[in-house]
Amino acid sequence: MPILANLLLVITDGRLAITATDLEVELVTNVNVTATKEGRITIAGRKLLDICRSLPEATTLVFSQDGDRVTVKASRSRFVLATQPAGDFPVIDELQQQQKLMISQADLRWLLDKTHFSMAQQDVRYYLNGMLLETDGKMLRTVATDGHRLALCEVELASKISGQQVIVPRKGVLEMQRLLGTEGDVQITIGSNHIRAHIGDVRFTSKLIDGRFPEYGRVIPAAPPRTVVADREALRAALQRTAILANEKYRGIRLALKKNQLTLQAHNPEQEEAEEQVEVNYRGDDLEVGFNVSYLLDAIAAIDGNEVELGVTDGNSSCLVRSPGASSNRYVVMPMRL
Amino acid sequence: MSAPRVILHVDMDAFYASVEQRDRPELAGRPVVVGGAGGRGVVAAASYEVRRFGVHSAMPIREALRRCPQAIVVTPRFKRYREVSAQVFEVFREFTDLVEGLSLDEAFLDVTASTGLFGGGEDMAREIKKRIRERTGLTASVGVAHNKLLAKLASEMDKPDGLTVIRPEKVRATLDPLPVGRLYGIGPKTAARLEEQGIFTLGQLRAAPESVLWPVLRRETRTFQDRAAGVDERPVVSDAPEKQISSEETFDVDIRDHKEMQERLAQLADRTTERLRARQYKAGMVSIKVRRRDFETFTRQRSFNPPTQETRLIAQVAADLLDHWLAEQPRAAVRLLGVGVSDLEPEQQLDLFTTAEFREARRLDDALDRIHDRFGDTAIHRGTDR
Repeated sequence: MPILANLLLVITDGRLAITATDLEVELVTNVNVTATKEGRITIAGRKLLDICRSLPEATTLVFSQDGDRVTVKASRSRFVLATQPAGDFPVIDELQQQQKLMISQADLRWLLDKTHFSMAQQDVRYYLNGMLLETDGKMLRTVATDGHRLALCEVELASKISGQQVIVPRKGVLEMQRLLGTEGDVQITIGSNHIRAHIGDVRFTSKLIDGRFPEYGRVIPAAPPRTVVADREALRAALQRTAILANEKYRGIRLALKKNQLTLQAHNPEQEEAEEQVEVNYRGDDLEVGFNVSYLLDAIAAIDGNEVELGVTDGNSSCLVRSPGASSNRYVVMPMRL
Repeated sequence: MSAPRVILHVDMDAFYASVEQRDRPELAGRPVVVGGAGGRGVVAAASYEVRRFGVHSAMPIREALRRCPQAIVVTPRFKRYREVSAQVFEVFREFTDLVEGLSLDEAFLDVTASTGLFGGGEDMAREIKKRIRERTGLTASVGVAHNKLLAKLASEMDKPDGLTVIRPEKVRATLDPLPVGRLYGIGPKTAARLEEQGIFTLGQLRAAPESVLWPVLRRETRTFQDRAAGVDERPVVSDAPEKQISSEETFDVDIRDHKEMQERLAQLADRTTERLRARQYKAGMVSIKVRRRDFETFTRQRSFNPPTQETRLIAQVAADLLDHWLAEQPRAAVRLLGVGVSDLEPEQQLDLFTTAEFREARRLDDALDRIHDRFGDTAIHRGTDR
């Protein structure tokens, strides 16, 4: 669809709305303009952007339409651009079956930042190639998983809303992250097939993935029998050093637990070896368990606070990673057989 | 130069046929042909009784029956052969870790490091033959030499139940009279071209001037002259990681019905993924093979993320690939179908949802594996909704 390379320009009431879409996500920005007439047209987005970028800041642009051409004038520059009719441009209609909620940009960004890395990529289980957004009482929750590890994050909203689960595709999540700032609120509208976010003058819409997300609650260990508490930065640094000599593809490392001591071991196909000792708070019996070190590092980087708690059951069961006692963001990592 | 190596080449004698004759005493001493039932398959193995009639592997069954009408055709039971093969390879590993399996019934062993423990190469060869006979009741032919090339030539010299040693001082005397076609890598066409140049034996090949050989062997001239002289530095590569696992079937009658093709394909996917799970691998690529009535063969493949060992997912990709192929060739008559998996990786990372959501699918796979183990591949198979 060549028209997707175009921008839709719509003038109403002295406002210019610019729309871009790839059919999966749509972005609309609004800007005040001085206009003699209302109207709509599409022109090549990349060319218009290159023109704007190469002109000095604060240059006034004058657009005029003549038949199927648009002329852009800026001081001594003049560009005549081809157009395509606005009627051919695909726009996402108003959302059906809406639910609306308000959340601060900082909170929404936190929800996305702390879970997005666990989303699957091009997984045949297409419903994993995105993020679950769930409303549950006063809670807004995000969950992402690639089948090997899972990230869950939740914030409390000001008011209670009805329960709903939607899956936002990977691309929608990553674009939304880029749009969110730290100040102000965002209004979220959840339709049956789309999700829409109003962020300042920007309106962002993403398709939803039509599928059933796995029952994530069943794979989060409720009360792992063994808990290990470590200094977060010390453990992170030790894992990172051990990872240097882990198998580059499978990234497996071994965690050996003894009373108050954690030993990390890795070796690669060249038979090179790394070993690290980390002081921890652990009172359980001896245990060895293997993990993909990247999954552990992702989770440890995402939690807050100076300490990290690992909740383990055995070498075949999932490990819960969180800030000690915290529930607002939690990570689950499945072991590797080593 | 390092000390000479001690390499064994062990080749089971008429392996599939011998397994059948041992498992079914009524077949002992009779002309047995193992191969696809019906008129269409090819001979996978021929017992020594039937080889006398000029029957050999890869010959169409029909031709085999023409040459030996009293031959008994037995449907292959690959699962059984794999079991017996595993017993045989277990014997090999009692002598060395350096085992390079070439097929179910053939392997190279580098026993250089074990010579002190078990005596010389010849003693070990005799002991290996003895243990194989004790545990499986089958005979093997073993060649002993200081490289793979010679070991393999040696094992072929005294079949069945042979034991041949080629000592370094006997290499020339042994190799020189052999026809050039005996050399690995020289097929009938190359052999014919060498013979046109007056080169019939390995001795002649070894001694021929490069100018005579170059037009035929090109850059391989040096390699083949070395080989003709019995020089071969190739190491025994143990446990070469498997690159592909596949199953295929030649049908008794060409299939035109799309639904039937999909059913056969689903069975092949079942067989392939069963072996995938048995070897504890996951696969990241699924391929299908389709051979038309006119013998033109097509392959289609699709990568798959994340790697899986689940029959349902792999069978689905295979079915899609066949659907696409059939869309191009809706009227094709198909004589062979195959399903393969590649991009194999060890099953190490455990899955979150095998304990929840995907447990049912996995349980079904495991149940089918167990039924196939007990009652054979044809006992039960997946239906298809295509």
